[in-house]
Amino acid sequence: MKRKLLGVIDATTYHEDLEDLLTHRALAALPFAGRYRIIDFVLSNMVNSGIRSVAIFPKMQYRSLMDHLGSGKNWDLNRKRDGLFFFPSPIVDNDGNKIGSFEHFAANIDYFYRSTQEYAIIANCYTIFNMEFGPILKWHRQSNCDITELMRQDGSPMEMYLVKTSLLIKLIETRHETGYTCMKDVVTDIQSMYSICHYHYNGYAVMIDSIENYFSTSMKLLEMDVWKQLFVKEQPIITKVKDEPPTKYVQDSVVKNAMIANGCIISGSVENSIISRGVKIGKGTVIKNCIIMQKCQIEENCYLDSVILDKDVKVEAGARLLGTACDPYVIRKGTKQGELMNS
Amino acid sequence: MGKKKCVAMLLAGGKGSRLNSLTKDLAKPAVPFGGKYRIIDFTLSNCANSGIDTVGVLTQYQPLLLNSYIGIGSAWDLDRKDGGVTVLPPYSESSEVKWYTGTASAIYQNLNYLKQYQPEYVLILSGDHVYKMNYESMLEYHIEKRADVTISLIEVPWVEANRFGIMNTNEDMRIVEFEEKPSQPKNNLASMGIYIFSWNILKEYLEMDDRDPNSSHDFGKDVIPMLLEENKKLFAYPFKGYWKDVGTVQSLWEANMDLLGEECELDLFDYDWRIYSVNPNQPPQYISSEAVVRESLINEGCTIEGEIDKSVLFQGVTVGKGTIIKESVIMTDANIGHNCLIEKAIIPCDVKVPDGTVIRSFDDEIILVTEEVLAGLNPTYESNC
Repeated sequence: MKRKLLGVIDATTYHEDLEDLLTHRALAALPFAGRYRIIDFVLSNMVNSGIRSVAIFPKMQYRSLMDHLGSGKNWDLNRKRDGLFFFPSPIVDNDGNKIGSFEHFAANIDYFYRSTQEYAIIANCYTIFNMEFGPILKWHRQSNCDITELMRQDGSPMEMYLVKTSLLIKLIETRHETGYTCMKDVVTDIQSMYSICHYHYNGYAVMIDSIENYFSTSMKLLEMDVWKQLFVKEQPIITKVKDEPPTKYVQDSVVKNAMIANGCIISGSVENSIISRGVKIGKGTVIKNCIIMQKCQIEENCYLDSVILDKDVKVEAGARLLGTACDPYVIRKGTKQGELMNS
Repeated sequence: MGKKKCVAMLLAGGKGSRLNSLTKDLAKPAVPFGGKYRIIDFTLSNCANSGIDTVGVLTQYQPLLLNSYIGIGSAWDLDRKDGGVTVLPPYSESSEVKWYTGTASAIYQNLNYLKQYQPEYVLILSGDHVYKMNYESMLEYHIEKRADVTISLIEVPWVEANRFGIMNTNEDMRIVEFEEKPSQPKNNLASMGIYIFSWNILKEYLEMDDRDPNSSHDFGKDVIPMLLEENKKLFAYPFKGYWKDVGTVQSLWEANMDLLGEECELDLFDYDWRIYSVNPNQPPQYISSEAVVRESLINEGCTIEGEIDKSVLFQGVTVGKGTIIKESVIMTDANIGHNCLIEKAIIPCDVKVPDGTVIRSFDDEIILVTEEVLAGLNPTYESNC
């Protein structure tokens, strides 16, 4: 596997439906499950599958993504040979959500020329799944297909493709003659000269493309069977570690059905919620059906139901914030919510 | 090698025999503490936070786990091109193998390590204690006092004074007398086992101590008395704050309990003085609908379905339904079944406690729940290993 498969992650995607959460960050860097960024899932899958060379193609607002990935050390990708590569797009305009843009790849074609891996897997950055890529490579080689496209249980495409690196280079080089702008163009062309196969993945896989879907997918984590499919001891989802102490519960805390990351101080009541690292919840405060991101501070006697607090939000004492499951109340990063603002 | 103003030498070879089976396979500095840490994390983090970037860690007893835990020191930001962490085990010379027979001999045998950095000062530390301390302030004090040696001291309860090295000082904090574990202490100011030596003095006296056939090669018993006899300038540096020797099962339990409650003396949440450790990278903890969690410290990777009260849980612990855990410390990856009652106990790493087990202390003595203890309770007990 080591010398066979190259990992390519397209991190250029932007979903307008997630705008409130994407003003400061790329979709790839969207916090998820209390301590992860969504790119951690595909990246960890690659590393756990033995892939040793991963190229990430981001575009716009990639500061938080770069900060998160660093040298790739947390994924053991800070290697002398191969390792983690970061190729921001030199093209400024946003040409939609095409996974595997050949124009973007062409700007960094040397990476593909220099790689010795025979095959490449091209993946989107926003799928929540825990999958080993070994079996699909084996399947692809036996099937004699030119391109394998991954499909979900329900038959919808996963926006992930496996090809020979040499074919990928050819597709990039001939993009002007063929008119193909991305992998999707190739696999959806019924007159394509390449043989396209579909590999059906039966495990849990959800693509995050709207606030509603982000919220419901997060809440699903509180179901044990979903949790067990995503967090497997042998195939851990790896993320940037923080030196947070264990979470502290004080005397009057009441916690039911919740996922809580490290470094929190919980003095209030938390139910059906996901609490990220370093969150402080004051006395008498009730948090229900919420996603609270890193370092939020919620003071005493607040009431929050169906709310998404982005990072570093401060909620002042006595505030009431209410959303619904279909339309969760999203509060943008770094803002302050006073009692009077919402009364 | 670049010249370093101050190099730290961390004595981490302690056996910690009063911790019973907890230190059967690992050295005392590697004993787990506080839901996430190992004892040595505190000293290494203090070094990192005090701006000391060159640390020699002296190992001897059961070093395997400690070696792999320390690695190249990256968890404490001590993986440096120049300096950083160096693990220093005993080694053989052409004539013989030299074990570290005492604290002084351990440093003496690594003078060559120190020489390569041409230090002005050497900070000698022990990896056995839990505390947060700024060594830089102590070094400033040492320089200001123009001391030959500075020893950090802390006030201990009078009844316990006979367990420590006790210092008697004059008004200027100059040490006039030093008694190692005195039966009748004149003072309750105890040595914390933290010394700053000016390099020339350290080198000279360690060489002298090595030549003395009657010496036990210990700082407290031999080197410090010798320096006092020769009227060297020894100063006491008073330390205020939390400091605990977690040398017994009881004191290890107490120190863990000290972390609970809203106001605790040892603040792990101080971002200006973080305690670093090797992070386990596990998913967030899951607290189920049936669970009750009160006044506790719980690390990532835990799955809690029972009731947790005044307890410390390390990463990866699972607690089954109907189980009650009170005033206990449950270490990494321990698995507690359903309908158990555990009170005032320490459950070591990886131990599997079967459904319905009752562990309860009747005389307030803390129970260390080893697999042998569990096999004693239930003859059909099958261990995890």
